[in-house]
Amino acid sequence: MLRKPFLLLFVFSIYFSSCWRYRNIDPPPGTSYTQTKVLGYKPVYGEESAAKKILYKATPSPVIKAGNIYAFRNYIFQIDPGYGIHVIDNSIPSDAKRIGFIEAKGCSQISIKNDKLYTNSYDDLVVLDFSDLNNVHEISRAKNVFVEYRNYSPIAQPPGSGYFECPDYGKFVVDWKRDSVIQLCFKY
Amino acid sequence: MKKLIHLCILFCSVIYLGCEKNAEGTSAASSIGKGGSLAKFTIIGNYVYAVSSHYLYSIDITDPSHPVKVNQSQLNYDMETIYPYKNRLFIGSKTGLYIYSVDTGSSPRLIGEAKHGRSCDPVVANDSVSYSTLKGSTFCGPATSGLYVHDIKNLNAPILKKLIPLNDPVGLGMADSALYVCNNTDGLKVYDIKNAYSPLEKMTIQGLGFVDVIPFDNILICWINDGISLYDITNQLQPVLIKKISN
Repeated sequence: MLRKPFLLLFVFSIYFSSCWRYRNIDPPPGTSYTQTKVLGYKPVYGEESAAKKILYKATPSPVIKAGNIYAFRNYIFQIDPGYGIHVIDNSIPSDAKRIGFIEAKGCSQISIKNDKLYTNSYDDLVVLDFSDLNNVHEISRAKNVFVEYRNYSPIAQPPGSGYFECPDYGKFVVDWKRDSVIQLCFKY
Repeated sequence: MKKLIHLCILFCSVIYLGCEKNAEGTSAASSIGKGGSLAKFTIIGNYVYAVSSHYLYSIDITDPSHPVKVNQSQLNYDMETIYPYKNRLFIGSKTGLYIYSVDTGSSPRLIGEAKHGRSCDPVVANDSVSYSTLKGSTFCGPATSGLYVHDIKNLNAPILKKLIPLNDPVGLGMADSALYVCNNTDGLKVYDIKNAYSPLEKMTIQGLGFVDVIPFDNILICWINDGISLYDITNQLQPVLIKKISN
């Protein structure tokens, strides 16, 4: 009989675990919580200009976390949420291979029309010219258009599960490193 | 006189075809690429349409060197995915399937919806049928997991025609006569959809964890747990593995 409430509690705690973003609570004035330090993920911040810089590397990059796929002409793209876009040459499908990586921090989505690649760089829409693989570059940007993409950007949370230092949303997270952190935020 | 009428019909249909907006391509010849069913970005005509949990955005890309956000609607659907077909957007959310018309370009207009229990929900569709997978789970909500088939000939009132229970469905993709449904480690299910409202299971490809697919010309592009795999779908109901790219 005792098992059911526990199961329910368990289910609810998993359900609410998706709300980690709201758990960065300051202690009431005049008090302080005991803040235990544990091994976890610590955000690495970058200046806005560096964080939003788009860079194309004509060599394959290791996959950190695989994301959405996209097909355009003889290419296949795969998002590495938060880090960039893998480019796969599919001219000969039986010999398809990774050929490059578009470094685009804070990205999560992709769409292409007429050799123009549309993706997001944190909450900006950014347009890349993809017509010449030797010269993939940013041609324009609409700033702060996606109101929910900034704090919910895949890079706003660590790549693995466990405790992490709640990021400062006023800054740009560009990476995560293992470090000792105060246990306040947790990712399941 | 008969000739004239024929010519007139031909002329009108050419004009009508011209009206069809340039939506996502199904082939390498198209000027617009094709996304998987889990995408949150898509392009129809001169607009990028994007969703986040509570917003639907329209961005005018007539001049790619000067993209402009022209609309942002707050919708409390918990949106997950967006899928384009002709001048329509099919939005999969945690509470249902929502169909928008983009005849006006900048401001999508709600024209139909099919609500369901809370779950995760990617969708693919054409003129008459929509296929969506719902995954009930502690994270997504309690709906019955499976493949949901809706008759959408009347967009204002989609009718649920069939529910095929599946354990762990994720992304899905539609070719002319086949529907591919990813079931994570339960494999990729291939359905014959000649009878659109009653998909017939033909085979299951086992051994890889399937997340999402894009049927693209004669190639089926699959996002699998540990990389990307490509299948020849010259025979759409009999995918043949031609390449696996590991992460």
